[in-house]
Amino acid sequence: MPIKRYMDRIDAIEKVLGQAKYAGDIHIEGMLYGVIVRSSIPHGWIKNIDFDKALTYKGVIKILTQKDIPGENVYGIIKKDQPLLAKERVRYIGEPVAIVLGEDESIARRASHLIRIEYEKMDVVSDPLQSMNGGVKLHDDGNLLSHRKVIKGDIDRGFRESDVIVERTYRTTWLDHAYIEPEAGLGYMDEKGRLIITSSTQNVHYKRNEISRLLAIPEERIRIIQATTGGGFGGKLDMTVEGYVALSVYHTKRPVLIRFTREESFLSNTKRHPLLIHYKTGAKKDGTIQAVKVDVTGDTGAYASYGSTVCLRVAVHATGPYEVPNVYAESRMLYTNNPVSGAMRGFGVPQIAFAHESQMDIMAKELNIDPLEIRIKNALKRGSKTATSQELGTSVGFIETLKAIEPFWKGRKKSGTRGFGLGSMFYGMGNTGISNPSSARITLTEEGKIALHTGACDIGQGSDTVLLQILCETLDVDGKDVLLVRADTDLTGDAGSTSASRQTYISGKAVQLAALNLRAYLEKEGFYRGRGISEIYRSYRDRGFPPFEGYFDPPTEALDMDTAKGKPYATYAYATHMAEVEVDRITGYVKVLRVYAAHDVGKAINIKNIKGQVYGGIAMGIGFALMEEFIPGKTESLDNYYIPTSMDMPAMEAFIVEDEEPTGPFGAKGVGEPALIPQAAAIANAITDAVGVRPYELPCDLERLKKLL
Amino acid sequence: MTNLVPLNITVNGIEYRLYIEPNITLVDLLREKLGLTGTKKSCNEGECGACTVLMEGRPVASCMVLAIDADNKKIITIEGLAEGEKLHPLQEAFIKYGGIQCGFCTPGMILSAKALLDENPDPTPYEVRRAISGNLCRCTGYQQIVDSVLKAADMIKGNQV
Repeated sequence: MPIKRYMDRIDAIEKVLGQAKYAGDIHIEGMLYGVIVRSSIPHGWIKNIDFDKALTYKGVIKILTQKDIPGENVYGIIKKDQPLLAKERVRYIGEPVAIVLGEDESIARRASHLIRIEYEKMDVVSDPLQSMNGGVKLHDDGNLLSHRKVIKGDIDRGFRESDVIVERTYRTTWLDHAYIEPEAGLGYMDEKGRLIITSSTQNVHYKRNEISRLLAIPEERIRIIQATTGGGFGGKLDMTVEGYVALSVYHTKRPVLIRFTREESFLSNTKRHPLLIHYKTGAKKDGTIQAVKVDVTGDTGAYASYGSTVCLRVAVHATGPYEVPNVYAESRMLYTNNPVSGAMRGFGVPQIAFAHESQMDIMAKELNIDPLEIRIKNALKRGSKTATSQELGTSVGFIETLKAIEPFWKGRKKSGTRGFGLGSMFYGMGNTGISNPSSARITLTEEGKIALHTGACDIGQGSDTVLLQILCETLDVDGKDVLLVRADTDLTGDAGSTSASRQTYISGKAVQLAALNLRAYLEKEGFYRGRGISEIYRSYRDRGFPPFEGYFDPPTEALDMDTAKGKPYATYAYATHMAEVEVDRITGYVKVLRVYAAHDVGKAINIKNIKGQVYGGIAMGIGFALMEEFIPGKTESLDNYYIPTSMDMPAMEAFIVEDEEPTGPFGAKGVGEPALIPQAAAIANAITDAVGVRPYELPCDLERLKKLL
Repeated sequence: MTNLVPLNITVNGIEYRLYIEPNITLVDLLREKLGLTGTKKSCNEGECGACTVLMEGRPVASCMVLAIDADNKKIITIEGLAEGEKLHPLQEAFIKYGGIQCGFCTPGMILSAKALLDENPDPTPYEVRRAISGNLCRCTGYQQIVDSVLKAADMIKGNQV
């Protein structure tokens, strides 16, 4: 059962009217437009920059370079290694070198083409394996960004005791978030000389901190507000336009708007990490998995971004949602001169799921066991120990997701070149083995409303609505009694990033705890006996009003640096997808006909939102499996980066499993990334079922599948 | 400066007489000159459909139309769909049936759907999918958008009865 307080999306009305203001829609009289000048080569020293023609172009106000940065010219969400504007060296095609500010956008753009950068080209590292072998050093501390191991049991014994061993290699490529709204932000100085920035973002507090260091001004002189954001999927976690906007306002004292074109978005935003995965599985004759050995090499590109997070998360999730007694998972992330890879829906887990689910099906075939059965047999359940030796105590609804799919799986009818495939996954909620708290604050207003202040950024997935529902449910009030103050560093506390499927679970819990505090107070004040909020507000105004706060940091334990033993996440989501495909042997075209998806979300807060996430995740999974591929130096627009259209989508059905998580609000966990993770794997398995050849490389597009056939 | 050319254009029932640069596109005219930012610009090459508006009742990618080619034409944008406080059934249905997530494709999506329903009040799910196939959405997987359009068709038929 869902919670009682059902709510339509609170942002829907302004969106259907065309009134929602995305950052690129905002206009301030007298504002300037900024355009970024980028490196055209992947690796080299900047010998000289000729600005003369651009500087004299009519309407150009200023051109800024790294020399104009008053603070530290380096940023990064985890490791600070990326310059805002290139110093003497560029490390990838598209690296920002200068900002041109003009009276209008076309002036700035035309002038940006007049800037000539002379380079001394350097040898290029385009492959992580080449990077590992040394030669060209990309950063002072070497080319290896991160190296993590997850070790459990005795891997050699595990394989010795196995009857069958399956060993394969899998490859994935770069993917682009391709949110429909390209990155944009507007900044200005207010009458007190404070810097105000409104941008399309997934985290306001992190960006304030980076800008403070870049400009060497205290955080309290900066205010970051999230504009309505047209999709994120991880791509708006890193700094996108904010640093450039901040620097431009700092130097011109005028309002500045920077909005990327689609081409700039493709050039600049972080990508999904391409992974090379060697995977070895050992099992007993009865299908019990005895050992899993995984070796992953990832390409993080020129700078770190979320590379180390992906490196660790991939290793921690390497076994998939199965209990394996002997595990040796090793993961390396290397710098190259390729585009910067970063956070993208699932942090590496969709890639590793493609591998572990393919392995599961290969093993099932080897042992002549049904693919569903082998999954149930090895499934994580209460009391299981994960690869990091974490004992799962609560909310492990994995088998229920398999059971939800079982009737369709058993009822499948193979014919011609139609095939069926399963994909399962587990996914840790929140950041890996580190503190990642959220906070919430509630105030009462004179007009009699209950105001929720939260720093959580709704990027389209619907957290604003879900957090208000949690507030209403806890207080037993209606949507008309509450209002939301959101994602603004002046008015809201830090809720952490909108990432890692964490907002419903973590910020939702913070809201619930704040609301429980308020509830106790309102009970004392007679609210539930009919005394209105306005009256309570007025009677307490003179004495000061207590703020009601909530704070939640999921209970995790840091992971051992050598073995990753520990409790990386307080809880996990689980899911199983089943795909039916039809393959055209002549063309290599794969049509996904039908998808069933079952998700253990802990507790459904908003069923419509959950289903929307699941359907959207399926779409992104179809793109990952069959058509999406970013080719550095070639891909520049939606003309040659294909994302699924309405015609590419199958019939879909989503099933919600609710194995309540005691630490979550009303038992809720998250679903944003889980929705995508098992989909590509399910399609790969269905293709194999249909035509008997197995894709080991994604996307399995026409060319790749034709080669296999 | 380039020589300006005269333009007569009716947008959401309001007639504008303007002098414009001959190379300005319809999307830029709407957004930058008329302040109608409900029309979105995303790929600027006719691939994504975010800038879809109705020109003489037909959906066009307004980034691919020169504003001068809209001379003496009637344009409907997302801002022109509701009648006062009363939402168009498509707008109501998108709210109610989950047709919206991030909302950036929504204006174009709704206008493509309106063009369909104006011509074909009783579309099949396949016809809806085909009608919106030029509008990319990265959030929803299109399912709840298709549902919303079909529900809106029902609502419109219901109203006419």
